[in-house]
Amino acid sequence: MRIAITGGKGGTGKSTIATALAAELAKKHRTILVDADVECPDDHIILSTEREKIREVEIFLPEFDKQRCLKCGECSQICKENAIILIRDNFPFLVDKQCNGCGACLLACPNRAISEDAQTIGCIYLGKPVFDTGITENLILISGEIYVGLESTSPVVKATLDYAFELEDDYDFLLIDTAAGTHCNVSTALMDSDLALAVAEPTPFGKHDLDLILKLLELLKIQPVIILNKSDIGDIGLIKEIQSNYGIDIISKVPYTKTFLENYSKGIPITHKEISVIAQFLENRS
Amino acid sequence: MKTITVLSGKGGVGKSSITASLAVLLAENHKLITVDCDVDAPNLALALGVIEDNSQLIDRVRSEQNAILIKEHCSKCQECVEACKFQAISVDKEDFPVISDLLCIGCGACTLVCGDNALKLESVEIAGIRVGETGYGFPSVSAQLNIGKSGSGNVVNIVKIWASEIAEAINAEYMVIDSAAGIGCPVIASVRGSDYVVLVTEPTPAAFWDLKRAIDIVNHFNIHYGVIINKNDINSDFTEEMEEYFTVNEIPVLGEIPFDQKFVYALVNLKPAVIFEPEYTGKFLEILKEMIKNINFWDTI
Repeated sequence: MRIAITGGKGGTGKSTIATALAAELAKKHRTILVDADVECPDDHIILSTEREKIREVEIFLPEFDKQRCLKCGECSQICKENAIILIRDNFPFLVDKQCNGCGACLLACPNRAISEDAQTIGCIYLGKPVFDTGITENLILISGEIYVGLESTSPVVKATLDYAFELEDDYDFLLIDTAAGTHCNVSTALMDSDLALAVAEPTPFGKHDLDLILKLLELLKIQPVIILNKSDIGDIGLIKEIQSNYGIDIISKVPYTKTFLENYSKGIPITHKEISVIAQFLENRS
Repeated sequence: MKTITVLSGKGGVGKSSITASLAVLLAENHKLITVDCDVDAPNLALALGVIEDNSQLIDRVRSEQNAILIKEHCSKCQECVEACKFQAISVDKEDFPVISDLLCIGCGACTLVCGDNALKLESVEIAGIRVGETGYGFPSVSAQLNIGKSGSGNVVNIVKIWASEIAEAINAEYMVIDSAAGIGCPVIASVRGSDYVVLVTEPTPAAFWDLKRAIDIVNHFNIHYGVIINKNDINSDFTEEMEEYFTVNEIPVLGEIPFDQKFVYALVNLKPAVIFEPEYTGKFLEILKEMIKNINFWDTI
């Protein structure tokens, strides 16, 4: 079963809940935790886990054959990212970082002067979290990371998920921790999930961004449930309003306690009866 | 005009709340405009009390293009499925290609391989841009990406162009930009062209890790920056560790703010902290002075 942990707003507790839930599920079930926040992956830090680089993520990059190039400018014109610059009477000049690997230039070139090269944009790590209690055989962490300064986050998310899907048959639960926001990298992370846990905090920001992520989930046709985090600060009424608008359940209310903060800042996943409530909910669903 | 951009890497460390308070104080002596460049999940306008009812829609951004299938022309050759590097095209039961609006980035590769002229690009609306008066003597410009649309970096660029126009009209001395979480395209677009960057962080390993990645972005653009440590008392040992790192790496710390539930109540009441709890004015003024001092310092060199 694939479960996405998302929320829209940054800092609502997506990774806190995802890591705690992974640790809880791993007590009985084989669990994969995927950190799909490739811009700022944090799960390995929260779980104090050493990661090993498994593979690099590559996307298409055009390579120009100057023998064949007619300097016609078709490639530069077709490129929506403005990654190919053509100054008259010169060979096209490629700005690697702008290239999103769509390959349109290769198709547009009338003289087959462009061939397929690759550019590395990120990598995928595998880690085995170690807890005080020892057992970790049940849990693996897969995290994707985009190289700093590059913008093509979605292909890194996709490649990270694909790697997890390769291993999925040996596991009971696949948890996908998404980035903040609602743009393409989040859609890509959510796309193949069976269920989404929308983590929200009871503030106007939390309400506003929860509304956005629920709209995205509706579009993706993924069933959401709400996890109310930091449930005892702010105004719960804000989230209840959204909940009744969408007719979905709040399955758990995780309070804000100082021990959570301390654990978080020490790199230990939190434990709380409300986390077991979420785990049980998932067990009943699967 | 000076452009100051606030970022953090990690979300939820207090970017928008702190930006709101600093802007309110800065506005006491200077003309300014605030810009919410977190187009996925814009919160700065909210923090400043600007909601849909008291703001005006000034632009609808139509820039991205989506591929559209003209079924009558399609011979089901499926070349387009192969050509799409974003797996945006799948095949339905009758073997017709189906284009996912969510995955299509409008690159046009499919239209180039299609031998039947069955695919064309059509522009779509991807965002709305709003401006509103904050009630603290300055306007706030923000953008909201339409759900499921890509191109947030592009929208950031456009909201910044609008903000520059308005800034010029009101003779603004400062443009204060609140960026998104992360370090991806919307953040890169926010930082580009800024005069100074404020990085907000908190004493947790995750925030620190993300902060370093955000610093790499700022360094990439060669922009001067300073750091604010928010919630500095939630782990004093780690705060010290961070302070040491900042000292060793000669990164100026503009100030530190302790954790206080009153900040949450300020938020719930849609008021900047310095308005809701005036006792915080002193703290934020110190940070603001330090920031201006830093900006001016780099100006004189």
